[in-house]
Amino acid sequence: MILRSIATQAFRNLAAEEVAFHEHVNIVVGRNGQGKTNLLEAIYFLATTKSFRTSRVASLFSFGSPSTFVSGQLHRFGVDKMLSVGLETGETKRRALLINGERVPLAVYVNTMSVFAYSAARLDILRGAPEERRRFLDRGIASIDPGYLEAVSRYGRVLRQRNALLASGSASSLAAWDAELIASAAPLQRGRAAYAEALASSFAAIVAEHGYHIQNVSIAYKPSAVDDLARIRRDELRAHMSLVGPQRDVLEFSVDGRPAAEVLSGGEQKMVVLFLKFAKLDLFRRRFDEPAVFLLDDVDAELDLEILEQLLVKLPSRTQVFATSAKERFLRTLEAGPHRRLVIENGRVAATNDLP
Amino acid sequence: MTAPPLANLINELSKLPGVGGKSASRIAYYILKRTTGEAESLANAIADVKAKIFRCSTCNNMTDVEPCAICSDPRRDAGVICVVEEAFNIPTIEQTRDFHGVFHVLLGALSPLKGVGPQDIDVAGLLKRVQSGGVREVIVATNPNVEGEATALYIAQQLHSLEVKTTRLAFGLPVGGDLEYADQVTMSKALEGRREI
Repeated sequence: MILRSIATQAFRNLAAEEVAFHEHVNIVVGRNGQGKTNLLEAIYFLATTKSFRTSRVASLFSFGSPSTFVSGQLHRFGVDKMLSVGLETGETKRRALLINGERVPLAVYVNTMSVFAYSAARLDILRGAPEERRRFLDRGIASIDPGYLEAVSRYGRVLRQRNALLASGSASSLAAWDAELIASAAPLQRGRAAYAEALASSFAAIVAEHGYHIQNVSIAYKPSAVDDLARIRRDELRAHMSLVGPQRDVLEFSVDGRPAAEVLSGGEQKMVVLFLKFAKLDLFRRRFDEPAVFLLDDVDAELDLEILEQLLVKLPSRTQVFATSAKERFLRTLEAGPHRRLVIENGRVAATNDLP
Repeated sequence: MTAPPLANLINELSKLPGVGGKSASRIAYYILKRTTGEAESLANAIADVKAKIFRCSTCNNMTDVEPCAICSDPRRDAGVICVVEEAFNIPTIEQTRDFHGVFHVLLGALSPLKGVGPQDIDVAGLLKRVQSGGVREVIVATNPNVEGEATALYIAQQLHSLEVKTTRLAFGLPVGGDLEYADQVTMSKALEGRREI
């Protein structure tokens, strides 16, 4: 798939102008704070309606703006489609998702464009709360299983209902909600277990192939089993909430039995996250036999540039890449082939040149 | 400014489900253009429905006779009860002409978030009907969403100790649809409910 262009309104500091992209490599350069990452974030937002930097969508709006709007022209399977996401802030918080001007449900929308992003902010996968790791897993599964988000939202609804019942103190219909909790948790935990296993093996293969010195990162999925609710009945009634289930699942990254975030240096953590992104990309390609859009935000000296070069060289030939760096020399591998260089100044693409 | 009687009508109409401010005002102006007779017959129909329609004491269906036309029909099999959430679900099932049993309307579905528990829907009435004998099968036709599913499970659990077969409507692929457009939940339910051919 190829993102031909994007246009934003009131999205962070970006100017309301259409930006056209190269079908293969796009290098976004400019001084710090000019909007390089914002441009990549807008692409990610267009594809997923989320940000790779923050879980607070309110921060995406330009200061003081009540709404934000991003649209883009996507080329896939030989046809061009116009994707748009509109979001309102404040009390309404309405969201409009459009394909070719027609409203579509979220599940349909997010399966239209597949994007994977590496960013230093994604170090949250290792350092952040357990929820970050569950989200990392869920987004990966959703990228290869279009129905997965539906199962996630169904489970969420069952969980809210069951928690409301536990909070109300009346347990007369609890057995029915127990059965529903078990039934709706199953597809999530099955999907997570299978994806975590595939991810771990792809990750290990990529790390080994590039001879990175950190070889023993283990990825373990530990589901919070829902099979024995009777045993914890009293605890749940006392806690007024569900104490087991996918909302308590753990995805663990460890090195020799200790959390990866404690053992690895900042640079090593960045490399682990980078490898994880390439592993996700690998799983996507095995499923769809089609390159996804790949975002590489803020390549810096902490990354092992030699390995990054090898990884990029091995990307499937039609992968569309968007990369930013404060230091352009870090992107020289990408600059070796045909590419477009976009210079960002104060939220505006000040110059573009196609090279060589 | 809209004249108060007209504004009042628009306001009343906009309280109807699926009717927004714009539609309400369109309907109101439409009524104004009709003859007095036509407007009165609409008003009378609304007054009539409230005066003459009540719930069947057996099945909770909307009716103007007691018991309702379905409950009192000797050709219907009172040994099979189809359980639905709302009275407006009945015509949908009746249209098939494939169901010859009777109904039981629950008047809702379990939803702790909305404060709806088992005592707020008429499961007790259903249990009483089954306990009084002669019922061979209860078909649970609550909605296939989270709340309808929990309600179905609750009913199944309540009927478990009684001598009655409890069934649930099948979930599956829409007739005339394509496999590739089936969502995951529907697909796995369809797999689960597959049958031999």
